[in-house]
Amino acid sequence: MRVSLATHGGLAAPITSRRPPRILDTERMPPAAAGQLRRLVAAVLAEGGGTRRSGRGGDAMTYTITVDDDGRSATITGSDTTMSAAFGALLSLIERQTG
Amino acid sequence: MISCITPPFILDRLLDSDNEAIRQAALATLLTTARLRGQREVRGLISGALATAADGRRSIFDCENGTFLPFATFVRAEDDEPVADRSANQAFDGLGVTRSFYRDVFGRNSIDGRGMRLQGFVHRGRRYNNAFWDGQQMVFGDGDGEVFADFTGSLDVIAHELGHGVTEHTAKLEYRFQPGALNESLSDVAGSMVKQWHLGQTADQADWLIGADIFTPSIDADALRSMKAPGKAFNNKLFGQDPQPDHMERYVELPDTDEGDNGGVHVNSGIPNKAFYLVATIIGGNSWEAPGVIWYESMRASAETTDFQAFADTTFSKAGELYGAGSSQQQAVQTAWDEVGIRVGVSPTLGRR
Repeated sequence: MRVSLATHGGLAAPITSRRPPRILDTERMPPAAAGQLRRLVAAVLAEGGGTRRSGRGGDAMTYTITVDDDGRSATITGSDTTMSAAFGALLSLIERQTG
Repeated sequence: MISCITPPFILDRLLDSDNEAIRQAALATLLTTARLRGQREVRGLISGALATAADGRRSIFDCENGTFLPFATFVRAEDDEPVADRSANQAFDGLGVTRSFYRDVFGRNSIDGRGMRLQGFVHRGRRYNNAFWDGQQMVFGDGDGEVFADFTGSLDVIAHELGHGVTEHTAKLEYRFQPGALNESLSDVAGSMVKQWHLGQTADQADWLIGADIFTPSIDADALRSMKAPGKAFNNKLFGQDPQPDHMERYVELPDTDEGDNGGVHVNSGIPNKAFYLVATIIGGNSWEAPGVIWYESMRASAETTDFQAFADTTFSKAGELYGAGSSQQQAVQTAWDEVGIRVGVSPTLGRR
């Protein structure tokens, strides 16, 4: 499974959008972390794939996570002001693994 | 010429005062536009009525790198001494300066005008490159340490974010296309005014930069944005050139998507930013005086879908109401907008006068 995180918006939106996406591939991860990534992706997808944009002002960032797995693709979205706990956990894991 | 030391929004508030003398003074001022300057007794009463030391109390929380705010740990309250964490103290101080600015300059009691508590959340997420206002509280990232440093280190960024809160409680400008860019610009105006007020700088002395402190020393960039020279805040290999326009001829059409920055709200804000910079430098002196009052009054008179032209028209009419039709302040407003490609005060009605 390949997971890509694109970040947009925020105080420095024009700069943020020009930064490359963060990419994770379970084949290149320790088994425990790969298993955790699969579980968190499944949890967010079970919620309906995250939330739409907040529509509210104030420099919140938005996140688009694209999941490619065995020929299937899904897109999960969230924002700083509207993300669920599961989405937050997935985001943290991706950031930790790619940081 | 109408010239009044106490802005109308403060006078409006004073009309509701429990103190008869204050009410009478405010009423007299509104009716006769008499100057209050020098009337020490009245000014003392007014400052007493506006004193709200207990309001807008601050609380700082440590997210400990989490993203779920309810899990954050409380670290510093309004009456507490500084704590060991520098970020917590910087957030605390920045919220305090901004609160004092709105109270002392515009007579506004905290973000909502009713003493709303100010909550700051520091160390949000891991290497998080942002600071934002979520409608209730201010949230700060530590930055990745490579491009961005700790966001609590920038007073204009803190004031920018709290400015979003003030806009949310006044004009409620929607966060897309021109109203969104205006929303962003009003926050930059707030950020720069608070910084200048804190440093005691006149418009000529100020750097007019937003976020000069948020880049690490290794990054070749002056700031996130320049109100004086939109489009020239940075130009480097890592993230290219500052995309902000400084004139309507260079307005950037972007889609209302995440990728398009909601129609370029952080891009096209360069146009009204430049207009405010020009007004402040043409009028001269302190940006938070006549220029700030005109902008603040115009924000209060704006609504969700106010675009650049409508806002510019409002600043022109407010400048006329506050300082007199044809006053140097009103002429400065007209000249400034004209220089960024927006014409005001040229409607048939006004043109015949």
